[in-house]
Amino acid sequence: MSEAELAASDIYLQKEVVFEKGKKYLIKANSGHGKSSVLNFIYGSNHNYTGKVDYSNTEASIFNLRKTEISYVFQDFKLFPSLTLFENIQLKNKLTHYKSIEQIDELIEKMQLSHRRDSLVATLSLGQRQRVAIIRALCQPFNFLLLDEPFSHLDSSNIKIIVRILNKELEERQASVIITALDDLPFFEFDKTINL
Amino acid sequence: MLTKLQKKTLVKVQLVGYILTLFIGVFIVLTTLQLYQDVKPLISEQTDVFNDKSAVISKEVSVFKSVNKDRIYFSSEEIDELKEQPFIKDVSIFNNADFRIKAYSKQSENIPLFQTDLFFESIPDAYIDVESEDWIWGENDEVVPIIIPENYLKLYNFGFAESQGLPVLSKNTISQITFNLKVIGNFNSEVYKSRIVGFSNKINSILVPQTFLEYANNKFGRSKKSRISRLLVTFNNPTDERILQFFNENNYSINKDKLEFSKLSFFFNSALVFVIAVALIILVLSVAFILLSFNLIIQKNKAMISNLGAIGYSYKSISKFYQVVISVATVLAIVPAIILGIYVRNVYLEKIDTLFQFSEEGSYITVFGVTILLTLCVVYVFIILRKIKAIVMPK
Repeated sequence: MSEAELAASDIYLQKEVVFEKGKKYLIKANSGHGKSSVLNFIYGSNHNYTGKVDYSNTEASIFNLRKTEISYVFQDFKLFPSLTLFENIQLKNKLTHYKSIEQIDELIEKMQLSHRRDSLVATLSLGQRQRVAIIRALCQPFNFLLLDEPFSHLDSSNIKIIVRILNKELEERQASVIITALDDLPFFEFDKTINL
Repeated sequence: MLTKLQKKTLVKVQLVGYILTLFIGVFIVLTTLQLYQDVKPLISEQTDVFNDKSAVISKEVSVFKSVNKDRIYFSSEEIDELKEQPFIKDVSIFNNADFRIKAYSKQSENIPLFQTDLFFESIPDAYIDVESEDWIWGENDEVVPIIIPENYLKLYNFGFAESQGLPVLSKNTISQITFNLKVIGNFNSEVYKSRIVGFSNKINSILVPQTFLEYANNKFGRSKKSRISRLLVTFNNPTDERILQFFNENNYSINKDKLEFSKLSFFFNSALVFVIAVALIILVLSVAFILLSFNLIIQKNKAMISNLGAIGYSYKSISKFYQVVISVATVLAIVPAIILGIYVRNVYLEKIDTLFQFSEEGSYITVFGVTILLTLCVVYVFIILRKIKAIVMPK
Protein backbone atom coordinates (compact mmCIF):
# COMPACT_ATOMS: atom_id res chain seq x y z
CA MET A 1 0.00 0.00 0.00
CA SER A 2 1.10 3.55 -0.56
CA GLU A 3 1.95 5.84 2.33
CA ALA A 4 -1.12 7.98 1.69
CA GLU A 5 -3.32 4.89 1.93
CA LEU A 6 -1.58 3.78 5.13
CA ALA A 7 -2.08 7.17 6.74
CA ALA A 8 -5.81 6.99 6.09
CA SER A 9 -6.07 3.56 7.74
CA ASP A 10 -7.92 3.05 11.03
CA ILE A 11 -5.60 0.14 11.96
CA TYR A 12 -2.20 0.46 10.32
CA LEU A 13 0.21 2.88 12.05
CA GLN A 14 -2.37 3.44 14.81
CA LYS A 15 -1.12 3.38 18.37
CA GLU A 16 -3.82 1.04 19.54
CA VAL A 17 -6.96 -0.58 18.17
CA VAL A 18 -9.23 -2.28 20.71
CA PHE A 19 -11.90 -4.83 19.83
CA GLU A 20 -14.36 -5.14 22.70
CA LYS A 21 -16.48 -8.10 23.59
CA GLY A 22 -20.15 -7.97 22.55
CA LYS A 23 -19.74 -5.52 19.70
CA LYS A 24 -19.99 -5.92 15.93
CA TYR A 25 -17.14 -4.65 13.77
CA LEU A 26 -16.84 -4.31 10.04
CA ILE A 27 -13.38 -4.05 8.49
CA LYS A 28 -13.79 -2.55 5.05
CA ALA A 29 -11.17 -2.27 2.37
CA ASN A 30 -10.43 -2.98 -1.24
CA SER A 31 -8.98 -6.27 -2.34
CA GLY A 32 -5.29 -6.65 -1.48
CA HIS A 33 -5.27 -4.16 1.37
CA GLY A 34 -4.74 -6.78 4.08
CA LYS A 35 -8.17 -7.56 5.51
CA SER A 36 -7.33 -11.24 5.85
CA SER A 37 -3.91 -10.35 7.22
CA VAL A 38 -5.47 -8.36 10.08
CA LEU A 39 -7.71 -11.31 10.99
CA ASN A 40 -4.70 -13.67 10.78
CA PHE A 41 -2.75 -11.34 13.09
CA ILE A 42 -5.59 -11.59 15.59
CA TYR A 43 -5.87 -15.38 15.11
CA GLY A 44 -2.12 -15.82 15.65
CA SER A 45 -1.52 -17.54 12.32
CA ASN A 46 0.50 -14.74 10.75
CA HIS A 47 3.37 -13.02 12.50
CA ASN A 48 4.62 -10.81 9.68
CA TYR A 49 3.94 -7.48 11.36
CA THR A 50 5.55 -5.06 13.75
CA GLY A 51 3.61 -4.31 16.87
CA LYS A 52 1.78 -6.49 19.29
CA VAL A 53 -1.52 -8.33 19.59
CA ASP A 54 -2.71 -8.66 23.19
CA TYR A 55 -5.57 -10.84 24.41
CA SER A 56 -7.43 -10.25 27.67
CA ASN A 57 -6.91 -13.96 28.39
CA THR A 58 -3.11 -13.80 28.63
CA GLU A 59 -2.45 -17.27 29.98
CA ALA A 60 -3.95 -19.53 27.32
CA SER A 61 -1.79 -20.91 24.52
CA ILE A 62 -2.73 -20.00 20.96
CA PHE A 63 -4.29 -23.47 20.47
CA ASN A 64 -6.48 -23.00 23.55
CA LEU A 65 -7.50 -19.53 22.37
CA ARG A 66 -8.58 -21.13 19.10
CA LYS A 67 -10.68 -23.66 21.02
CA THR A 68 -12.35 -21.35 23.54
CA GLU A 69 -11.96 -17.65 22.66
CA ILE A 70 -11.67 -17.00 18.95
CA SER A 71 -13.44 -18.71 16.07
CA TYR A 72 -12.57 -18.02 12.45
CA VAL A 73 -14.36 -18.50 9.15
CA PHE A 74 -11.49 -18.48 6.70
CA GLN A 75 -11.78 -16.94 3.27
CA ASP A 76 -10.49 -20.18 1.75
CA PHE A 77 -12.69 -22.17 4.22
CA LYS A 78 -9.88 -24.61 5.17
CA LEU A 79 -12.21 -27.59 4.81
CA PHE A 80 -11.02 -31.15 4.25
CA PRO A 81 -12.17 -32.33 0.81
CA SER A 82 -11.67 -36.01 1.57
CA LEU A 83 -14.21 -35.87 4.43
CA THR A 84 -17.97 -35.43 4.12
CA LEU A 85 -19.78 -32.23 5.05
CA PHE A 86 -20.86 -33.69 8.39
CA GLU A 87 -17.42 -35.13 9.14
CA ASN A 88 -15.83 -31.75 8.55
CA ILE A 89 -18.06 -30.22 11.19
CA GLN A 90 -17.53 -33.16 13.53
CA LEU A 91 -13.75 -32.81 13.19
CA LYS A 92 -14.06 -29.47 14.94
CA ASN A 93 -16.82 -30.48 17.34
CA LYS A 94 -14.82 -33.52 18.52
CA LEU A 95 -12.22 -31.04 19.68
CA THR A 96 -14.61 -28.82 21.64
CA HIS A 97 -17.67 -31.05 22.31
CA TYR A 98 -19.65 -27.83 22.12
CA LYS A 99 -22.72 -28.88 20.14
CA SER A 100 -24.74 -32.07 20.10
CA ILE A 101 -25.30 -33.99 16.88
CA GLU A 102 -28.93 -32.83 16.93
CA GLN A 103 -27.86 -29.17 17.16
CA ILE A 104 -25.43 -29.65 14.29
CA ASP A 105 -28.11 -31.34 12.18
CA GLU A 106 -30.45 -28.48 12.98
CA LEU A 107 -27.90 -25.95 11.74
CA ILE A 108 -27.33 -28.01 8.57
CA GLU A 109 -31.07 -28.07 8.07
CA LYS A 110 -31.39 -24.30 8.53
CA MET A 111 -28.55 -23.68 6.08
CA GLN A 112 -30.45 -25.85 3.56
CA LEU A 113 -27.66 -28.37 3.30
CA SER A 114 -29.44 -31.50 4.63
CA HIS A 115 -29.42 -33.18 1.23
CA ARG A 116 -25.62 -32.90 1.05
CA ARG A 117 -24.96 -33.90 4.67
CA ASP A 118 -22.99 -37.03 3.75
CA SER A 119 -21.46 -35.81 0.51
CA LEU A 120 -17.72 -35.28 0.26
CA VAL A 121 -16.80 -31.64 0.58
CA ALA A 122 -14.85 -32.00 -2.67
CA THR A 123 -18.20 -32.27 -4.46
CA LEU A 124 -19.78 -29.15 -2.92
CA SER A 125 -20.10 -25.75 -4.57
CA LEU A 126 -18.25 -22.74 -3.20
CA GLY A 127 -21.44 -21.32 -1.66
CA GLN A 128 -22.17 -24.63 0.05
CA ARG A 129 -18.64 -24.84 1.35
CA GLN A 130 -18.92 -21.32 2.72
CA ARG A 131 -21.98 -22.31 4.73
CA VAL A 132 -20.22 -25.47 6.02
CA ALA A 133 -17.31 -23.32 7.18
CA ILE A 134 -19.72 -21.05 9.06
CA ILE A 135 -21.46 -23.98 10.79
CA ARG A 136 -18.06 -25.39 11.75
CA ALA A 137 -17.01 -22.04 13.23
CA LEU A 138 -20.07 -22.09 15.45
CA CYS A 139 -19.14 -25.47 16.97
CA GLN A 140 -17.05 -23.99 19.73
CA PRO A 141 -17.29 -21.46 22.55
CA PHE A 142 -15.91 -18.06 21.56
CA ASN A 143 -15.84 -14.40 22.54
CA PHE A 144 -14.80 -13.27 19.08
CA LEU A 145 -16.00 -14.58 15.75
CA LEU A 146 -13.84 -13.64 12.77
CA LEU A 147 -15.53 -13.80 9.36
CA ASP A 148 -13.37 -13.18 6.32
CA GLU A 149 -15.61 -12.07 3.43
CA PRO A 150 -18.21 -14.62 4.51
CA PHE A 151 -20.92 -13.86 1.99
CA SER A 152 -18.84 -13.58 -1.17
CA HIS A 153 -20.37 -16.69 -2.78
CA LEU A 154 -23.91 -16.42 -1.43
CA ASP A 155 -27.22 -15.04 -2.66
CA SER A 156 -29.21 -12.58 -0.56
CA SER A 157 -31.78 -15.13 0.70
CA ASN A 158 -28.97 -17.32 2.04
CA ILE A 159 -27.24 -14.31 3.54
CA LYS A 160 -30.39 -13.39 5.41
CA ILE A 161 -30.65 -16.90 6.86
CA ILE A 162 -27.01 -16.83 7.95
CA VAL A 163 -27.26 -13.39 9.50
CA ARG A 164 -30.25 -14.58 11.52
CA ILE A 165 -28.33 -17.63 12.78
CA LEU A 166 -25.20 -15.60 13.51
CA ASN A 167 -27.12 -12.97 15.48
CA LYS A 168 -28.72 -15.68 17.60
CA GLU A 169 -25.42 -17.42 18.32
CA LEU A 170 -23.67 -14.12 19.12
CA GLU A 171 -26.40 -13.16 21.51
CA GLU A 172 -26.21 -16.51 23.29
CA ARG A 173 -22.49 -16.14 23.81
CA GLN A 174 -22.49 -12.36 24.37
CA ALA A 175 -19.73 -12.45 21.79
CA SER A 176 -18.23 -9.99 19.39
CA VAL A 177 -17.95 -10.37 15.61
CA ILE A 178 -15.36 -8.96 13.23
CA ILE A 179 -16.37 -9.16 9.58
CA THR A 180 -14.28 -8.12 6.62
CA ALA A 181 -15.89 -7.02 3.38
CA LEU A 182 -15.13 -5.09 0.24
CA ASP A 183 -18.09 -2.83 0.81
CA ASP A 184 -20.82 -2.05 3.34
CA LEU A 185 -22.97 -4.99 4.37
CA PRO A 186 -26.59 -3.88 4.56
CA PHE A 187 -27.76 -7.12 6.22
CA PHE A 188 -25.82 -6.50 9.42
CA GLU A 189 -26.04 -3.70 11.98
CA PHE A 190 -22.48 -2.81 12.92
CA ASP A 191 -21.36 -0.91 16.01
CA LYS A 192 -18.23 0.25 14.25
CA THR A 193 -16.93 0.31 10.71
CA ILE A 194 -13.16 0.35 10.34
CA ASN A 195 -11.62 1.47 7.10
CA LEU A 196 -8.42 -0.33 6.41
CA MET B 1 -12.40 -38.34 12.62
CA LEU B 2 -8.83 -37.07 12.84
CA THR B 3 -7.56 -40.62 12.49
CA LYS B 4 -9.80 -41.23 9.48
CA LEU B 5 -8.48 -38.09 7.86
CA GLN B 6 -4.83 -38.90 8.54
CA LYS B 7 -5.15 -42.58 7.66
CA LYS B 8 -5.82 -41.59 4.05
CA THR B 9 -2.45 -39.86 3.86
CA LEU B 10 -0.41 -43.00 4.59
CA VAL B 11 1.34 -44.99 1.86
CA LYS B 12 0.90 -48.59 2.96
CA VAL B 13 3.42 -50.11 0.55
CA GLN B 14 6.16 -47.91 1.98
CA LEU B 15 5.24 -48.91 5.51
CA VAL B 16 5.34 -52.59 4.62
CA GLY B 17 8.67 -52.10 2.84
CA TYR B 18 10.05 -50.40 5.94
CA ILE B 19 8.85 -53.17 8.24
CA LEU B 20 10.38 -55.82 5.99
CA THR B 21 13.80 -54.20 5.55
CA LEU B 22 14.08 -53.19 9.19
CA PHE B 23 13.13 -56.73 10.19
CA ILE B 24 15.88 -58.19 8.00
CA GLY B 25 18.47 -55.66 9.11
CA VAL B 26 17.76 -56.00 12.83
CA PHE B 27 17.51 -59.78 12.62
CA ILE B 28 20.92 -60.13 10.95
CA VAL B 29 22.58 -57.62 13.27
CA LEU B 30 21.21 -59.28 16.40
CA THR B 31 21.92 -62.82 15.26
CA THR B 32 25.46 -62.22 14.01
CA LEU B 33 26.40 -60.23 17.11
CA GLN B 34 25.07 -63.07 19.24
CA LEU B 35 26.82 -65.67 17.08
CA TYR B 36 30.06 -63.78 17.51
CA GLN B 37 29.54 -63.67 21.30
CA ASP B 38 28.73 -67.36 21.42
CA VAL B 39 31.54 -68.59 19.18
CA LYS B 40 34.27 -66.28 20.48
CA PRO B 41 35.35 -68.61 23.30
CA LEU B 42 35.38 -71.52 20.85
CA ILE B 43 37.69 -69.89 18.37
CA SER B 44 39.98 -68.36 20.94
CA GLU B 45 41.04 -71.13 23.26
CA GLN B 46 38.47 -73.66 24.26
CA THR B 47 39.55 -76.23 21.72
CA ASP B 48 43.08 -76.53 22.97
CA VAL B 49 44.85 -76.71 26.28
CA PHE B 50 47.30 -74.04 25.18
CA ASN B 51 46.73 -70.35 25.37
CA ASP B 52 46.02 -68.53 22.19
CA LYS B 53 48.90 -66.86 20.36
CA SER B 54 51.58 -69.30 21.39
CA ALA B 55 53.50 -71.83 19.29
CA VAL B 56 56.32 -74.33 19.65
CA ILE B 57 59.55 -73.81 17.75
CA SER B 58 62.57 -76.05 17.27
CA LYS B 59 65.56 -76.20 14.94
CA GLU B 60 65.33 -78.00 11.63
CA VAL B 61 66.82 -81.47 11.81
CA SER B 62 69.13 -82.21 8.87
CA VAL B 63 71.40 -85.10 8.00
CA PHE B 64 74.37 -83.12 9.20
CA LYS B 65 72.77 -82.22 12.49
CA SER B 66 71.68 -85.75 13.23
CA VAL B 67 75.34 -86.64 13.58
CA ASN B 68 76.27 -83.73 15.78
CA LYS B 69 73.31 -83.39 18.11
CA ASP B 70 74.52 -80.19 19.75
CA ARG B 71 73.16 -78.25 16.78
CA ILE B 72 69.55 -78.94 17.62
CA TYR B 73 69.84 -77.22 20.97
CA PHE B 74 69.14 -73.53 21.53
CA SER B 75 71.97 -71.51 23.04
CA SER B 76 71.18 -68.84 25.62
CA GLU B 77 72.26 -66.16 23.08
CA GLU B 78 69.73 -67.44 20.60
CA ILE B 79 67.03 -67.39 23.23
CA ASP B 80 67.92 -63.82 24.14
CA GLU B 81 67.79 -62.82 20.46
CA LEU B 82 64.31 -64.34 20.19
CA LYS B 83 63.15 -62.46 23.24
CA GLU B 84 64.23 -59.19 21.66
CA GLN B 85 62.05 -59.59 18.57
CA PRO B 86 59.21 -57.05 18.54
CA PHE B 87 56.56 -59.59 17.61
CA ILE B 88 57.43 -61.94 20.46
CA LYS B 89 55.87 -61.37 23.82
CA ASP B 90 57.41 -64.18 25.79
CA VAL B 91 59.70 -67.19 25.40
CA SER B 92 59.48 -70.27 27.61
CA ILE B 93 61.68 -73.30 27.53
CA PHE B 94 60.79 -76.96 27.48
CA ASN B 95 62.44 -79.02 30.18
CA ASN B 96 63.49 -82.51 29.17
CA ALA B 97 63.36 -85.56 31.34
CA ASP B 98 66.87 -86.83 31.92
CA PHE B 99 65.82 -90.34 32.88
CA ARG B 100 64.10 -93.36 31.36
CA ILE B 101 60.39 -94.00 31.75
CA LYS B 102 58.33 -97.08 31.19
CA ALA B 103 54.54 -97.03 31.18
CA TYR B 104 52.66 -100.32 31.64
CA SER B 105 49.42 -101.84 32.81
CA LYS B 106 49.00 -104.97 34.91
CA GLN B 107 47.00 -108.02 33.92
CA SER B 108 44.60 -107.55 36.82
CA GLU B 109 43.43 -104.13 35.65
CA ASN B 110 40.50 -103.66 33.37
CA ILE B 111 42.50 -102.27 30.47
CA PRO B 112 44.54 -103.89 27.72
CA LEU B 113 47.91 -105.11 28.73
CA PHE B 114 50.63 -102.81 27.43
CA GLN B 115 54.13 -101.70 28.06
CA THR B 116 55.94 -98.81 26.38
CA ASP B 117 58.91 -96.54 26.75
CA LEU B 118 58.03 -92.87 27.23
CA PHE B 119 59.69 -89.50 27.44
CA PHE B 120 58.52 -86.44 29.34
CA GLU B 121 58.80 -82.70 28.89
CA SER B 122 57.36 -79.83 30.82
CA ILE B 123 56.50 -76.19 30.17
CA PRO B 124 55.45 -73.46 32.60
CA ASP B 125 51.99 -74.12 34.00
CA ALA B 126 50.74 -70.73 32.80
CA TYR B 127 50.69 -72.06 29.23
CA ILE B 128 48.47 -74.96 30.11
CA ASP B 129 44.77 -74.53 30.26
CA VAL B 130 43.44 -77.70 31.90
CA GLU B 131 41.69 -77.38 35.22
CA SER B 132 44.31 -76.52 37.79
CA GLU B 133 43.17 -79.18 40.30
CA ASP B 134 44.25 -81.86 37.84
CA TRP B 135 47.49 -80.22 36.84
CA ILE B 136 49.20 -80.33 40.21
CA TRP B 137 51.83 -82.65 41.47
CA GLY B 138 53.45 -82.64 44.88
CA GLU B 139 56.11 -84.97 46.26
CA ASN B 140 53.55 -86.98 48.19
CA ASP B 141 51.15 -87.43 45.26
CA GLU B 142 51.08 -90.89 43.83
CA VAL B 143 49.33 -90.00 40.57
CA VAL B 144 51.27 -88.03 37.95
CA PRO B 145 48.97 -86.14 35.52
CA ILE B 146 50.09 -86.07 31.90
CA ILE B 147 48.99 -84.35 28.69
CA ILE B 148 49.45 -86.18 25.39
CA PRO B 149 49.04 -84.97 21.80
CA GLU B 150 45.58 -85.60 20.49
CA ASN B 151 47.21 -87.25 17.47
CA TYR B 152 48.47 -90.06 19.66
CA LEU B 153 44.91 -90.93 20.59
CA LYS B 154 43.86 -90.86 16.95
CA LEU B 155 46.84 -92.98 15.98
CA TYR B 156 45.82 -95.51 18.59
CA ASN B 157 42.09 -95.49 17.81
CA PHE B 158 42.25 -95.63 14.03
CA GLY B 159 45.57 -97.36 13.47
CA PHE B 160 46.77 -99.45 16.33
CA ALA B 161 43.47 -100.52 17.90
CA GLU B 162 42.12 -101.40 14.48
CA SER B 163 45.02 -103.65 13.53
CA GLN B 164 45.34 -105.30 16.95
CA GLY B 165 41.62 -105.83 17.53
CA LEU B 166 41.61 -103.59 20.58
CA PRO B 167 38.70 -101.37 21.69
CA VAL B 168 38.66 -97.70 20.65
CA LEU B 169 38.80 -95.14 23.43
CA SER B 170 37.13 -91.76 23.81
CA LYS B 171 38.81 -88.83 25.52
CA ASN B 172 36.57 -89.31 28.51
CA THR B 173 37.30 -93.03 28.90
CA ILE B 174 40.99 -92.58 28.53
CA SER B 175 41.01 -89.84 31.16
CA GLN B 176 39.66 -92.33 33.65
CA ILE B 177 42.28 -95.00 33.06
CA THR B 178 45.10 -95.12 35.55
CA PHE B 179 48.31 -96.90 34.55
CA ASN B 180 51.76 -97.37 36.02
CA LEU B 181 54.93 -95.41 35.41
CA LYS B 182 58.34 -96.82 36.19
CA VAL B 183 61.03 -94.16 36.40
CA ILE B 184 64.60 -95.42 36.07
CA GLY B 185 67.88 -93.53 36.28
CA ASN B 186 70.84 -92.71 38.43
CA PHE B 187 70.90 -96.32 39.76
CA ASN B 188 67.48 -95.71 41.15
CA SER B 189 63.91 -96.58 40.19
CA GLU B 190 60.41 -95.90 41.43
CA VAL B 191 56.84 -96.72 40.35
CA TYR B 192 54.12 -94.05 40.12
CA LYS B 193 50.54 -94.11 39.02
CA SER B 194 49.57 -91.87 36.09
CA ARG B 195 46.50 -90.53 34.37
CA ILE B 196 45.93 -88.57 31.16
CA VAL B 197 44.21 -85.28 32.01
CA GLY B 198 44.29 -83.41 28.70
CA PHE B 199 44.96 -83.52 24.97
CA SER B 200 46.85 -81.01 22.91
CA ASN B 201 46.69 -80.26 19.21
CA LYS B 202 49.57 -77.88 19.08
CA ILE B 203 52.44 -79.64 20.74
CA ASN B 204 53.95 -82.98 19.89
CA SER B 205 55.14 -83.95 23.29
CA ILE B 206 54.13 -85.72 26.45
CA LEU B 207 53.88 -83.16 29.22
CA VAL B 208 54.04 -83.55 32.97
CA PRO B 209 53.82 -80.84 35.63
CA GLN B 210 57.01 -78.87 36.01
CA THR B 211 57.20 -79.75 39.71
CA PHE B 212 57.36 -83.47 38.89
CA LEU B 213 60.01 -83.06 36.23
CA GLU B 214 62.26 -80.98 38.45
CA TYR B 215 61.86 -83.47 41.27
CA ALA B 216 62.49 -86.47 39.06
CA ASN B 217 65.41 -84.90 37.21
CA ASN B 218 67.06 -84.26 40.55
CA LYS B 219 66.48 -87.75 41.80
CA PHE B 220 66.97 -89.83 38.64
CA GLY B 221 68.86 -87.46 36.33
CA ARG B 222 72.05 -88.73 34.72
CA SER B 223 73.64 -85.32 34.16
CA LYS B 224 72.95 -81.98 35.74
CA LYS B 225 73.21 -80.15 32.43
CA SER B 226 69.90 -79.14 30.85
CA ARG B 227 69.71 -78.85 27.10
CA ILE B 228 66.96 -76.97 25.37
CA SER B 229 65.74 -78.31 22.08
CA ARG B 230 62.29 -76.73 21.95
CA LEU B 231 60.87 -73.37 22.90
CA LEU B 232 57.37 -72.14 23.50
CA VAL B 233 56.93 -68.62 22.19
CA THR B 234 54.02 -66.26 22.70
CA PHE B 235 53.28 -63.73 19.99
CA ASN B 236 51.76 -60.31 20.29
CA ASN B 237 49.89 -60.98 17.09
CA PRO B 238 50.13 -64.40 15.47
CA THR B 239 49.19 -63.00 12.07
CA ASP B 240 52.32 -60.82 11.99
CA GLU B 241 54.17 -61.50 8.73
CA ARG B 242 57.60 -61.05 10.30
CA ILE B 243 57.19 -64.24 12.33
CA LEU B 244 57.47 -66.69 9.46
CA GLN B 245 60.15 -64.56 7.82
CA PHE B 246 62.33 -64.52 10.94
CA PHE B 247 61.97 -68.24 11.53
CA ASN B 248 62.80 -69.08 7.94
CA GLU B 249 65.94 -66.95 8.06
CA ASN B 250 67.14 -68.66 11.21
CA ASN B 251 66.14 -72.12 10.09
CA TYR B 252 63.79 -72.58 12.99
CA SER B 253 60.84 -74.79 12.42
CA ILE B 254 57.53 -73.70 13.77
CA ASN B 255 54.36 -75.59 14.29
CA LYS B 256 52.36 -73.66 11.73
CA ASP B 257 48.98 -75.06 12.70
CA LYS B 258 48.69 -72.42 15.32
CA LEU B 259 49.27 -69.66 12.82
CA GLU B 260 46.90 -71.29 10.34
CA PHE B 261 44.26 -71.36 13.01
CA SER B 262 44.85 -67.71 13.74
CA LYS B 263 44.36 -66.95 10.07
CA LEU B 264 41.17 -68.96 10.08
CA SER B 265 39.79 -67.08 13.07
CA PHE B 266 40.85 -63.85 11.38
CA PHE B 267 38.83 -64.78 8.31
CA PHE B 268 35.90 -65.84 10.45
CA ASN B 269 35.98 -62.54 12.30
CA SER B 270 36.30 -60.57 9.07
CA ALA B 271 33.35 -62.41 7.57
CA LEU B 272 31.23 -61.68 10.64
CA VAL B 273 32.25 -58.03 10.67
CA PHE B 274 31.39 -57.81 6.98
CA VAL B 275 27.95 -59.36 7.52
CA ILE B 276 27.26 -57.08 10.48
CA ALA B 277 28.34 -54.07 8.43
CA VAL B 278 25.99 -55.02 5.58
CA ALA B 279 23.14 -55.58 8.03
CA LEU B 280 23.82 -52.24 9.68
CA ILE B 281 23.68 -50.59 6.26
CA ILE B 282 20.31 -52.27 5.61
CA LEU B 283 19.11 -51.06 9.01
CA VAL B 284 20.30 -47.50 8.45
CA LEU B 285 18.81 -47.45 4.94
CA SER B 286 15.44 -48.67 6.19
CA VAL B 287 15.42 -45.94 8.84
CA ALA B 288 16.43 -43.32 6.29
CA PHE B 289 13.76 -44.64 3.94
CA ILE B 290 10.91 -44.37 6.44
CA LEU B 291 12.04 -40.91 7.53
CA LEU B 292 12.05 -39.85 3.90
CA SER B 293 8.66 -41.44 3.38
CA PHE B 294 7.13 -39.67 6.37
CA ASN B 295 8.78 -36.44 5.38
CA LEU B 296 7.14 -36.81 1.98
CA ILE B 297 3.74 -37.61 3.52
CA ILE B 298 3.97 -34.57 5.76
CA GLN B 299 5.08 -32.29 2.92
CA LYS B 300 2.39 -33.65 0.61
CA ASN B 301 -0.29 -33.02 3.23
CA LYS B 302 1.15 -29.75 4.42
CA ALA B 303 -2.13 -27.93 3.68
CA MET B 304 -4.18 -30.46 5.61
CA ILE B 305 -1.84 -30.31 8.59
CA SER B 306 -1.77 -26.54 8.66
CA ASN B 307 -5.60 -26.47 8.32
CA LEU B 308 -5.90 -28.81 11.29
CA GLY B 309 -3.75 -26.37 13.23
CA ALA B 310 -5.96 -23.53 11.99
CA ILE B 311 -9.15 -25.08 13.35
CA GLY B 312 -7.56 -25.60 16.75
CA TYR B 313 -5.72 -28.93 16.74
CA SER B 314 -2.37 -28.66 18.53
CA TYR B 315 0.75 -29.90 16.75
CA LYS B 316 1.07 -32.58 19.43
CA SER B 317 -2.34 -34.07 18.67
CA ILE B 318 -1.68 -33.91 14.91
CA SER B 319 1.70 -35.62 15.39
CA LYS B 320 0.28 -38.38 17.56
CA PHE B 321 -1.18 -40.41 14.70
CA TYR B 322 2.06 -40.48 12.72
CA GLN B 323 4.08 -41.17 15.84
CA VAL B 324 1.87 -44.13 16.72
CA VAL B 325 1.95 -45.51 13.16
CA ILE B 326 5.73 -45.34 12.84
CA SER B 327 6.24 -46.77 16.34
CA VAL B 328 3.85 -49.65 15.73
CA ALA B 329 5.57 -50.39 12.41
CA THR B 330 8.93 -50.43 14.20
CA VAL B 331 7.59 -52.78 16.87
CA LEU B 332 6.15 -55.02 14.13
CA ALA B 333 9.60 -55.25 12.56
CA ILE B 334 11.82 -55.58 15.62
CA VAL B 335 9.79 -57.88 17.87
CA PRO B 336 9.58 -60.65 15.22
CA ALA B 337 13.29 -60.06 14.52
CA ILE B 338 14.04 -60.69 18.21
CA ILE B 339 11.88 -63.81 18.28
CA LEU B 340 13.43 -65.20 15.09
CA GLY B 341 16.90 -64.32 16.40
CA ILE B 342 16.31 -66.27 19.61
CA TYR B 343 14.93 -69.19 17.60
CA VAL B 344 17.91 -69.25 15.23
CA ARG B 345 20.28 -69.05 18.18
CA ASN B 346 18.65 -72.10 19.75
CA VAL B 347 19.05 -73.98 16.48
CA TYR B 348 22.74 -73.19 16.09
CA LEU B 349 23.45 -73.76 19.78
CA GLU B 350 22.06 -77.26 19.37
CA LYS B 351 24.40 -77.81 16.43
CA ILE B 352 27.41 -76.40 18.26
CA ASP B 353 26.60 -78.48 21.31
CA THR B 354 26.86 -81.66 19.31
CA LEU B 355 30.18 -80.61 17.78
CA PHE B 356 32.08 -79.00 20.65
CA GLN B 357 32.18 -78.91 24.37
CA PHE B 358 30.39 -75.65 24.84
CA SER B 359 29.24 -73.67 27.82
CA GLU B 360 26.18 -71.64 26.99
CA GLU B 361 26.05 -68.04 28.13
CA GLY B 362 23.21 -65.53 28.31
CA SER B 363 21.65 -64.07 25.20
CA TYR B 364 21.99 -60.41 24.32
CA ILE B 365 19.38 -60.51 21.56
CA THR B 366 16.45 -59.23 23.62
CA VAL B 367 18.42 -56.46 25.32
CA PHE B 368 19.99 -55.25 22.04
CA GLY B 369 16.70 -55.54 20.17
CA VAL B 370 14.72 -53.57 22.73
CA THR B 371 17.46 -50.94 22.87
CA ILE B 372 17.31 -50.48 19.09
CA LEU B 373 13.50 -50.35 19.26
CA LEU B 374 13.38 -47.71 21.97
CA THR B 375 16.10 -45.60 20.38
CA LEU B 376 14.35 -45.60 17.00
CA CYS B 377 10.95 -44.78 18.51
CA VAL B 378 12.31 -41.86 20.52
CA VAL B 379 14.11 -40.50 17.43
CA TYR B 380 10.98 -40.86 15.25
CA VAL B 381 8.65 -39.27 17.81
CA PHE B 382 10.98 -36.32 18.17
CA ILE B 383 11.54 -35.81 14.43
CA ILE B 384 7.83 -36.01 13.54
CA LEU B 385 6.89 -33.61 16.31
CA ARG B 386 9.46 -31.13 15.08
CA LYS B 387 8.35 -31.35 11.44
CA ILE B 388 4.65 -30.94 12.24
CA LYS B 389 5.33 -28.08 14.62
CA ALA B 390 7.23 -26.31 11.84
CA ILE B 391 4.12 -26.51 9.62
CA VAL B 392 1.49 -25.69 12.24
CA MET B 393 3.41 -22.89 13.90
CA PRO B 394 5.54 -21.23 11.21
CA LYS B 395 8.04 -18.74 12.52
